[in-house]
Amino acid sequence: MSVLDQLLVFAFMTGAVASFIGDRRFAGTLLAILYFGQFLLLVKLAPLGYGAQPVVSAWQPALFGEVLVWRMDALGWYFALITVVAGWLVTWYASGEWGQGYRERGGNLGLMHTAVAANVVAMLLLLSSGNLLSLFVGWELVSWAGFLLMVMNGRESGGVSGPAGLRYITYATLGAMALLAALAIAHHASGSFEYIDLIDAVDQMTGPTRVSLVIAFALAFTIKMGLLPFHLWQAPAYAYSPGPGGAFLGAISSRVGLWGLAMVFGSLIGIGRIAGIELIPGWFDLRDVFMWVAALTIVLPTFTALRQNDARLLLAWHGIGQGGYMLLGLAAGDALGTGGGLMHVLNHASYQAPLFLAVFAVMHRTGTSDLNRLGGLVARMPLTFLVMLIGIIGLAGLPPMNGFVSKYLVYISLLRQGEPLLFILAVIGTLGTVLSVFKLLHNTFLGQLRVEHMEVREAPWSMLIPMLLMASVVVVTGTAPGLVLDWVASAQAALGLPVLDHTLGGAAGLDMLWVSGVLVYGFAVGTLLFLSGNKSRRVHQFDNYAGGHFLTAENQYQYSDQFYAGLMHHIGGWYRASFTWAESVVIASVDAMSAAANGFFRRTQAVFLLLLATLGSVAWLLWGVGS
Amino acid sequence: MSTTHLLIELVLMPLVAFVVGLAMLLMLRKIGARLQRRVGPPLLQPLFDVIKLYSKRTQVSHGLLHEAGIVVAVGAYVAIETLVPVPGMNGIAEKGGLILLSYLMMVPSLGLALGVGQCANPNGSIGLSRAMTAMLAYDIPFMLVVFGVAWQFQTTNLVELVAVQQAGGIATWGIVENPLLAIAGLFGLQAMLGKQPFEIYVAPAEIATGPMVEMGGKFLGGLFVMQSFQFYTAGVLYTTMFLGGGENWFTFLIKIFVVVAIPLSVAFMFPRYRTEDMVRLVWKWPVILALLGLVVAVQ
Amino acid sequence: MNDFPLPVRAERSNPLARVFDELIDFCRARSMFMLHYCTGCGAIELPPAMTSRFDMERLGIQPMVTPRQADILLITGYVSIKTLKRVILTYEQMGSPKYVIGICSCTVNGGMYWQSYATAKKLNEYLPVDVYIAGCMPRPEAVIEGLRKLMGEIKAGRANSWERYFREYDRYLAAQQNLFGPNWQTPTDIIGEARDYQLYGPGTEGRHTELLQQHQVPLQPLRMTLHSDVEKSS
Repeated sequence: MSVLDQLLVFAFMTGAVASFIGDRRFAGTLLAILYFGQFLLLVKLAPLGYGAQPVVSAWQPALFGEVLVWRMDALGWYFALITVVAGWLVTWYASGEWGQGYRERGGNLGLMHTAVAANVVAMLLLLSSGNLLSLFVGWELVSWAGFLLMVMNGRESGGVSGPAGLRYITYATLGAMALLAALAIAHHASGSFEYIDLIDAVDQMTGPTRVSLVIAFALAFTIKMGLLPFHLWQAPAYAYSPGPGGAFLGAISSRVGLWGLAMVFGSLIGIGRIAGIELIPGWFDLRDVFMWVAALTIVLPTFTALRQNDARLLLAWHGIGQGGYMLLGLAAGDALGTGGGLMHVLNHASYQAPLFLAVFAVMHRTGTSDLNRLGGLVARMPLTFLVMLIGIIGLAGLPPMNGFVSKYLVYISLLRQGEPLLFILAVIGTLGTVLSVFKLLHNTFLGQLRVEHMEVREAPWSMLIPMLLMASVVVVTGTAPGLVLDWVASAQAALGLPVLDHTLGGAAGLDMLWVSGVLVYGFAVGTLLFLSGNKSRRVHQFDNYAGGHFLTAENQYQYSDQFYAGLMHHIGGWYRASFTWAESVVIASVDAMSAAANGFFRRTQAVFLLLLATLGSVAWLLWGVGS
Repeated sequence: MSTTHLLIELVLMPLVAFVVGLAMLLMLRKIGARLQRRVGPPLLQPLFDVIKLYSKRTQVSHGLLHEAGIVVAVGAYVAIETLVPVPGMNGIAEKGGLILLSYLMMVPSLGLALGVGQCANPNGSIGLSRAMTAMLAYDIPFMLVVFGVAWQFQTTNLVELVAVQQAGGIATWGIVENPLLAIAGLFGLQAMLGKQPFEIYVAPAEIATGPMVEMGGKFLGGLFVMQSFQFYTAGVLYTTMFLGGGENWFTFLIKIFVVVAIPLSVAFMFPRYRTEDMVRLVWKWPVILALLGLVVAVQ
Repeated sequence: MNDFPLPVRAERSNPLARVFDELIDFCRARSMFMLHYCTGCGAIELPPAMTSRFDMERLGIQPMVTPRQADILLITGYVSIKTLKRVILTYEQMGSPKYVIGICSCTVNGGMYWQSYATAKKLNEYLPVDVYIAGCMPRPEAVIEGLRKLMGEIKAGRANSWERYFREYDRYLAAQQNLFGPNWQTPTDIIGEARDYQLYGPGTEGRHTELLQQHQVPLQPLRMTLHSDVEKSS
């Protein structure tokens, strides 16, 4: 029994424990310990992150003569690490007061724990899949486990989560169909489900087959990642999941799409071959399509996030946008780009999860995530504020947090490849993110504290410690990105991509150790300068400039609604909801078709049609067998 | 480079920046005065202002974050100054680069934004929302310019940028090689310094100086210091990108003062644009110029 | 009027400290940010004083926008009772050292509004005024002359009547209560401020501050806290 087997068995066990005793009071703590056990087993697998050979599972069941293989390599280990840590910390978060509150509000805590555990198991199975068949099995498990987490929050979300989950599963089914098609093409070409055979077979493929293989894979994976134009399902599905579950989904779940694309771009087909498929010879190839899709995925969802007034939706939309950076880096194809793209997965998980959790902590205390009904909470929830502050600096991609490092690598890659338009789209995404997350922080924690929130208390330690742990990852890997870049480099090597040349401080002329150090020095100087003045005296928020007006609790002295009114005055008209419209057109036409088919079938001779169809099928089968 | 040498540079570079920045603050007020046919303030006026503000007896604070915001605003600029090369001193410019600097320059503003946020004054919040919008506006042409310069010289390392331009003489200066980018950059500089006509986030008569509304005493003093750093950094960055950096302090100072004087002079001839008009303007002309400049650079 | 003479600032024996004090006084004198509360007709004389003809900026005087930023409160013209409330709020929000200049006769004794029921007559009763500039209206030269006088006082370290407001707060509050009624209060905690900055004097508290504290809604600063219980007990 290899370590991988132990890990999988342990993960299954966690799921079983969750499903049997998940609604008990102590269950959260027990589960958190079990997740920590999974984490320790992953640590045992850590040599994978430093270039060791893949670990193979001893259990290889056969299915209709085909063998299911599980094998964890550096890439899978990197993603699995993020998954398990995310699962561990969100379960810890739910283990105390949050879980109690959730149960009191009528939520099914046991089901939530089970769903999170099921997600972790499914993702571990997927990430350690060793051939196309186990990939497909894992893929389906991940899809349905995610669905479970999304739809279980019906009561809390006011009935919104159900339709959002159904919308997701519709998209996911489309993705699964595409993956099935890809598998069919691959099997047809190579005669087996093994990765190695497929890699060999790709060279012999004809052009159209290769294109359709790439498109089928890409469709499956981009839908899961929520890339344009398949992004509409993601934000509501994640936002209305139960708190910790939403954080888990937002942090890592959709990144399995990126994992799949990394396999396609890296080992399975190769970015070079994809770039060789020219759509407009000399001008535009298939790789450019991916890059442009990625760039647009950065910009459009980010600016959709800018318009949200619900903190959960705002974050969920940003999650979609950040996926664009990952794909953009990956599609750039060089050591810097793919390194940045892969590093961004961990970075994104490390700040997106605590951001979600911070929002849910605020919700836990105040009962709302409506950005127009909050404000001034920094005085009451300072540590939650700190978590959110670190998180948004990471999300916005500003130094010295880790989000900057991965985006920097992508920028430099685009710079070296001479892609000014993609570069500027990436920058626009970053700027839009800065605006949007500042609104999130400001409207929640800054400004005037509302009267009804005067008695609000800080979130309990059971919620704070996981959040702070995640936030510390943002800071530490921002200061010393080399820690993560080691793993990324191993993943690149495992994928057969060019390996990023890096130091502990970063890569490509960037040394975050120095930058963070000099920032600390600067803040020290700033503090000295500040302390050189006389001591300051704190005043109440009503002792404030209001043009001579006397402020009282009766009138709200706060600016939060339509935060970027001036900007929206200019760009507001550009929001056309085109994708929603297109989606509704597709839905309407499917509706119409099914109604027509239904009507036709019911009104004419149903039995006759059935007979016709059966005869046709039999004839086709006979003919097919005969030839 | 020895450690002592580096330590001296780390102290000296922000100090020089502060002194030169104060002189630029004076220049701002002198230019304004002269354009309005006034005498203007005496030579040491910015220094008097800063000392007076820090020496206020009572200092009003709205909380820890208000104080930390000022510390971050000043401190981040202290850090930034060690990352831009000046004649004879490179500091740790080799460890960063143009892209890092473009993003690091948002940090002081965000620190300030946090401080203003805790002041709990909607005038300040409106100012922040406008300042953020302005940032979204001017950073697009500015980053295009950064891309163009980095592409033109095939490096994002500021030290190399200066070395290349100085080795080739005036003919290889960014402004000669690519005047379109230089003009777009100057346009961006105007907005980046927050001077008229892009001054909507301050708008004293409308939102009571926006972010500065609750700042008094050493808080306002900190903002004066921050502004002096900001002028200096903008001047040095532009000089490094387009005017060949500094061969020696004499020419270097002339260059940076001239660079900063241009937006400051323009400022006093304009009223303010509204936010949406500002965005429209900045997304139009400087972006077009920068894109044309990019076409030239890529050729 | 002066029941409680202000403590004279002792010359510090350390010559360096003395130089430091003098430097600070000098800078305070050469950098005066003014907030003009223009209530009446006197405002018309300020633009000429600021613009090219007389140019206050060469003396280091410049207009500011909010009370937090300002050193000088410039009150030009009559103060009605309604206005006076805002003037006091504004004055209390300014950071010390702060100076008040009353321009025009109206601030001295009510001027032509002497008989008005709605006008506060003597500004000095409600706020410690440093310099009066009489006239209806005073010319810009006179305004600048007054500012120069204040400048000289600051430089000499004598312009500390702002301390009176802290040290004799009870007296100022008495006049304010007399005018606005017993329920009068501002959001600024003058007594606390006086304690924090060693400006507490024998006249800071008294009968009238007792009255204030009876009905005052306490405006404690919102302390950053992990548990709101702290707030309740305070």
